[in-house]
Amino acid sequence: MEQTATETPQNTFSCQLCGLSTSFTYYGQKPPNTRAIVLLEECFVTKDPFSPDKEKFLVLGSTCSLCGKCVCVGPDCSLFYTKRFCVPCVNRHLDQFPQQVRAELAKKSQSSQPGVTQLT
Amino acid sequence: MDQIFFREQDYIQAGSSEHREFWAFFDRFQRFKAKRDMSGSGARDEVKERKRTGHEKVDLGLPREYDARYRINVSVCTGDVEQRMGKADPTRRQRSSGPGPQEVSDCRLALLHFLDFSQKQSFGKLAKLRREQNNLPIFQYRDRIVELVRLHPVVVVAGDTGCGKSTQVPQYLLSAGFTHIACTQPRRIACISLAKRVSFESLNQYGSKVGYQIRFETSRTAATKLLFLTEGLLLRQIQQDKNLDQYEVVIVDEVHERHLHCDFLLGVLRSLLADRPGLRLILMSATINIKLFSEYFHSAPVLQVPGRLFPIQVIYQPIPPEEQPSRSEKLDPRPYLRILQGIDQRYPPEERGDLLLFLSGVAEIGTIQEACQVYATHTRRWIVLPLHSTLSLAQQDKVFDVAPLAVRKCIISTNIAETSVTIDGVRFVVDSGKVKEMSFDPKAKMQRLQEFWISRASSEQRKGRAGRTGPGVCYRLYSESDYNAFAPYPVPEIHRVALDSLVLQMKSMDLGDPLSFVFIDPPPTSSIQTAVTYLKEQGALDSRGELTSIGRLLSQLPVDVVIGKMLVLGSLFNLVEPVLTVAAALSVQSPFLRSSQHNPDCSTARQPLHSNQGDPFTLLNTFNAWVEVKRERGGGSRKWCRRRGLEEQRLYEMVNLRRQFKELLRSHGLLESEDRAPSGGDRLQRRERFTERKKLHQLKRHHEQQEGTKRKVLRMDEGQDGELSSGSDTEGRGRKGKKRQEEDVDIQEVKFKLRHNVSELQEAVSASQDLSSRHQALLKLLLCRGLYPQLALPDEHNSNRKDSEQVFHTRNKQGVVIHPTSVFASDPEVLHVPEDDVRETGPDRRDSSRHQLLAFVTLLETNKPYLSNCVRVPALQALLLVANSVDTNADCTRLVVDGWLELEVKEPEEALRVLSTALSLRCEWERLLKVQLGQSSLGEASGQGVSRRDMEKLSEGLVRFLLYTEVSYSLQRLTAFQTQNLYVGPQSEPDSSYAEVPDLSPLFPGAEAKPDPIKGGLRVSGFFTYNCLADSKDLYSECLRTFWSCPNCELYMPLTPLERMHHEASCRPAGERQEAEKESGDGKPGSSSMSSLTRVYHCDVCNEDLKLTSTEILKHKRQHMFAAK
Ligand SMILES: [Zn+2]
Ligand SMILES: [Zn+2]
Repeated sequence: MEQTATETPQNTFSCQLCGLSTSFTYYGQKPPNTRAIVLLEECFVTKDPFSPDKEKFLVLGSTCSLCGKCVCVGPDCSLFYTKRFCVPCVNRHLDQFPQQVRAELAKKSQSSQPGVTQLT
Repeated sequence: MDQIFFREQDYIQAGSSEHREFWAFFDRFQRFKAKRDMSGSGARDEVKERKRTGHEKVDLGLPREYDARYRINVSVCTGDVEQRMGKADPTRRQRSSGPGPQEVSDCRLALLHFLDFSQKQSFGKLAKLRREQNNLPIFQYRDRIVELVRLHPVVVVAGDTGCGKSTQVPQYLLSAGFTHIACTQPRRIACISLAKRVSFESLNQYGSKVGYQIRFETSRTAATKLLFLTEGLLLRQIQQDKNLDQYEVVIVDEVHERHLHCDFLLGVLRSLLADRPGLRLILMSATINIKLFSEYFHSAPVLQVPGRLFPIQVIYQPIPPEEQPSRSEKLDPRPYLRILQGIDQRYPPEERGDLLLFLSGVAEIGTIQEACQVYATHTRRWIVLPLHSTLSLAQQDKVFDVAPLAVRKCIISTNIAETSVTIDGVRFVVDSGKVKEMSFDPKAKMQRLQEFWISRASSEQRKGRAGRTGPGVCYRLYSESDYNAFAPYPVPEIHRVALDSLVLQMKSMDLGDPLSFVFIDPPPTSSIQTAVTYLKEQGALDSRGELTSIGRLLSQLPVDVVIGKMLVLGSLFNLVEPVLTVAAALSVQSPFLRSSQHNPDCSTARQPLHSNQGDPFTLLNTFNAWVEVKRERGGGSRKWCRRRGLEEQRLYEMVNLRRQFKELLRSHGLLESEDRAPSGGDRLQRRERFTERKKLHQLKRHHEQQEGTKRKVLRMDEGQDGELSSGSDTEGRGRKGKKRQEEDVDIQEVKFKLRHNVSELQEAVSASQDLSSRHQALLKLLLCRGLYPQLALPDEHNSNRKDSEQVFHTRNKQGVVIHPTSVFASDPEVLHVPEDDVRETGPDRRDSSRHQLLAFVTLLETNKPYLSNCVRVPALQALLLVANSVDTNADCTRLVVDGWLELEVKEPEEALRVLSTALSLRCEWERLLKVQLGQSSLGEASGQGVSRRDMEKLSEGLVRFLLYTEVSYSLQRLTAFQTQNLYVGPQSEPDSSYAEVPDLSPLFPGAEAKPDPIKGGLRVSGFFTYNCLADSKDLYSECLRTFWSCPNCELYMPLTPLERMHHEASCRPAGERQEAEKESGDGKPGSSSMSSLTRVYHCDVCNEDLKLTSTEILKHKRQHMFAAK
C-alpha cells in the first residue's frame, strides 16, 4: 500500500501530560484530503482508525499556546477556546475563562479523578 | 445545501454514511439550540461574571462573550462555492427553494459541531484503547521485555490468559525498533484475528505493516514488519530458507500447548540459533511447565507476568456412584441438571453470567443437551447450545450471540472451548474432568479416540474460563483427591500421534537421524521407527532410510503422505483434475453434516451425489455439482448446500486447497503451466471481470467493517431445533429475519469469486464429471496406490450377515467395521462376490474373478474400529499393481501378498498371464514415474517429459488389465500357522540351477534376480520373489517346463514360468516391433526398446561374447543343451 512509504519515518506523538503515545501522519493546519476544512491550530494528525472511510483524519493534539507543552486533545489534558490550552495552564488562569469552561472543568475534576491517576 | 458542503470532492460526500449521520445530527442540533434559546440562559450571566473578575496578570486575549463556536478548532471554507452559486443564479436566493444565507450559516455551524463531535468520539475511542493497553498486566513489563530481548538470544515470557502477551509483546518490539518479526500461532484463525487486532491497535488498520499468512491467505507485503503465521508454515519457510534470514525476531506463542509442530519447531530453532547468532527467539507460554522451556534453551531467562483473572470459587461435586456412567451406557444427566437448578436457586436471573460445560465428546454433549433442553423449556431461563468442531460454523457461531435478559446461555462444549474458542461473559464452569484424545496405536496402525481424565493444567484452564469478565464459580464433577491424582500436564502431541509426516520433514531438512534429534521431550524411539518403516513402505524412503525422489517431493507437499502420493500419481495421467479434487476433499473435514444424516429430505437430496465406487467418488460428485451450481446460480449455492446437509465452508476450503495443490504440482514441474491466454478474453469480458472484482472488493471491505460490530440476540428456542430446521432458510423468522438475510452478504461467495474464476474452474471440473468407466477404473487404481498399504479385506462370511454387521480385516487389525457415514455402510452388497460368479472349489475356497478390497483413508477406533473414506478395487489386479511384496510358488498359482493375503489361481496358464502382464505394466509405470519425477527435479525447462504416447499406452494397458482380467481365484487371509511356515528360506547348498540364473534385467531394469537371503526363491524385483513359498516345487525342475508358443514371434519351446514371463516382457507384437525398429532407424540409439533389450552374453561353451536379446540367449543355451544330449 502506498501510504506506508510516507509513513516510514516513525513520527510519534506523545502527550506530555497523560503519556498517550501514538504515531502521527501529518503536522500542520491542512491535513490531506480535508478539502474545505481548515484547522485553527497546528495539530498532530493521523488517519482516523475508527472511521470506515480511510480518508478521515483524527486530531491527536497540539502545543499549548501558553507553555508550549505538547498535549493531546483529551479533555483531561487540554481544551480549545480560540486557542489550545493545557489544563494546568487553564487552571493557572482560570479567572480569564468564561463560566461555562470553568464549570466544565470543575465537573470533570470531580468525576474523573481516578481515571487521571491511572494514567500518570 | 449538499452542493455547498457535500460535493463529490468534499470531505464528506453526499450519499455517504457520514452524510446521513450529519443530517441526523443536524436535526438534533437544531432542536438542542432551540431548547437552549428558549431557556435563555448563558451569555448574559457570562458578561456579568467577566466584569467582576476583570483584572489579571497576563491577558490571554480571550473573547469576552462565550460562544460554543470558540471551542472548535476547525473551520470550513465554502465561500467560493457560495459566491459562485450566488452569481450563477442571483434569483435563487429569493426563491423559497434555495438556501438563504441564514440557512447556510446554520448548516455550517451544525457541520462544525458535527466535525468536532466526531473528532471527540474517535479520540475518545483512541484514548480508551490506549488506556486498556496500558492497563494490561504485561504493560508493567514493557521495558523489561525489550531489554531482555536485546540482551538474550532466547527469552521465555510466561503469562496467563488475559495478560495481553499475544497482542502486546509484538507491538513492544515493533516500537523498540525491531523489524521483521514473525509470531507463530497454533491456530490459523488466531493468526488472522491477532493481525487484525494488532494493526488496529497500532492505528495501521489499512496499512500493511502487520500481516498474517496462513495456508490459503496472506496479507503479507514487502512492507510487512510483523507477520502472524502458523507453526507449520514457519517450518515450511525454514525448509526453503535454512537460516531464516528473512526474520530478525521469531516469537513462538502458546508453546505450552505442546502441539507436534510446535515441539518440532522449537527443536529446529534451537539448532538454528547456533548458525544465526543475531536471531532473537521469544517463547510465550501460559504459566505451565516453564522450567522445561527455559532449560531446553540453556536456561533462558524467564519473565513471568501475572494473569488477570477474577477470583473463582471452586466447588467439588463428585458424581455419586449410582449416577456414574458404566462403559456402555449413556451419561446420566442428573448431576448436570442439579447444577443448573442450583444456579437458578442461588443467583437472581437479573445477574448476568452464562454457563460453560465441558464434556468429553459429541455423543456426551448430545445426551446432556437433550436433558438440559427439557429443563430449559420448562424454566424458560436457559438457552442450551452445543459447541464442537463437527457442527456447522453457523451453529458454532451462536455461542457468541447474546441471551435475552434474565436468560442464561448454557454452552455444552468439548475441550475446544478450553483454549481454541474464547467466550466472554461466562460466569459458571462445569467441568466433567474428561477429555477424548486421539492416540496412535503403531501395532494396529490405527488411530484411537479414547476418553481420559484431564490433567491438572487443563483443569485449571477450564476453571479460568469462569473468571474472564468477573468473579466466577467452577463446579468440578470429581473430588479434590481425583484432582490431585491427575497428571500435571497433558500428554504432548508428539507422544500420541503417528510421526510419518514429521520424520519425512526432518529427512528433507537434513536434520540427520531422527532418533538423535534433540526434542524438548523426545518421542518414543518405537514411534520414530514405525514412521520410518511406514515411509519405506510408502516408497518415500529407500532401504537405507534416505529420501527417494518421490519422498523429496512429498516432503514439500503440506498434506498427508498418502494424499501427496495420489497427487504425484495423478499428475502422470490425464487425471489431474479429479485427483486434485479428491486429494483436496480428503484433506478437509467431510462436508456432509452428521446431524443431517437422519433427515430423510437431506438423504433424498443427497442421493444423486452418492457413488457406490466409494466415498472419494461421492465427494468428487458433490464438489462437481457444487461448482456447477456456483456457475449457474452464484450465491444460490448456500441454499443448495443447506438442502443437502452440506457445510459449504468445507467446499470453499476444498476449492482453495485444490488450487494450492495445482500450483504446487506446477511449481514442481509435474503439471504443465496453463497457457495464460486469457480465457475467452476479449476486452469487454476482461473489463467486465475487472469491474466485477472491484465491486467484490468493496463488498468484502464493507463486510470486514461490519464484522463483529453487532451480536445477535438469541431466540428462546435456539439450540432446540437441530441443524436443519434452523437452516431451513427464512421461514418462521418473520419479516424482520428475512430482511436481515437479504442484507447479509454471503461473504464466502464474495471471497470465492475474488479468488477463483468460476467458469475456468467449471471447465477444469467438467473434465472430471461423468468419468467414463475406464477413467473411473484408473482413478480408483491411483487412489488405491496412494492409500496403500491401507487396505481392508471383506470377511468371507459377509454375504450371510446383516448390513449392519459387515466385518473387514486389515493386515494389522482384525474385525473392523465401516463407518456409518460411508457409502458402503448403506450399500454393502456391492462388496460381496456375486453368487453367479462363484465356484466352490473346496471346503473353504470360493473362486471368483470378482473379489474386491477396500482402500481406506482412516482407521479410527472410537467405540469400535471404523474405516472411513473407502474405495473398492478389484483385489488381484490392484494387489499385483501396488503391493510391496508378492511371493509366488513355482507355477505362480499361489501368491502371497505382503505376507498376509493369499491368492490361489486355478489355472497356471492364467496365473502366469496375469502375473506377467502386471509385472510389465508395473515396470513401465515405474519407469514413467521416474521420468516424471526426474523431470520435476530438473524443473520445467527440460521439457523431456513423459511422452504422451507412452502415458496413453500405459493407461490403456492398466485399464484393460483392471477391467478385463477374467481370472478365477480365491482370496483369503493367511492363518497364523501358515504365516510361520510361509517361506522355503535360504538354500544352504546352492542348487546347480542357480548358476544359470536367467537374466531378468529387461523385465525389471536395474534389478538383478538373485536368491532371496531370507525367503529363499528368487528375488526378481523389489517386490516380486519367485518360488519362495514353502509348498513350491523345485525352482528349475524340468517338469515345470511346458511347451509354449509365443503369440508374437515364432518361438515354440518348453519354458519355465520365469523364462516365459521373461520372454513375454521382451517380445513385442509384430506391429509394435516394427515401430520400434523404425524409431531406432531414425537414429535414436538407446531410446529404442529393441536395442536396449540386447546385452552382452558370454557363452562358456562357445567361449565367446555374444550380443543377444534374452530370448536369443535362451535359444542359444538350449542349442547347447540339445547338442549335449
Ligand atoms: Zn494527554
Ligand atoms: Zn500549558
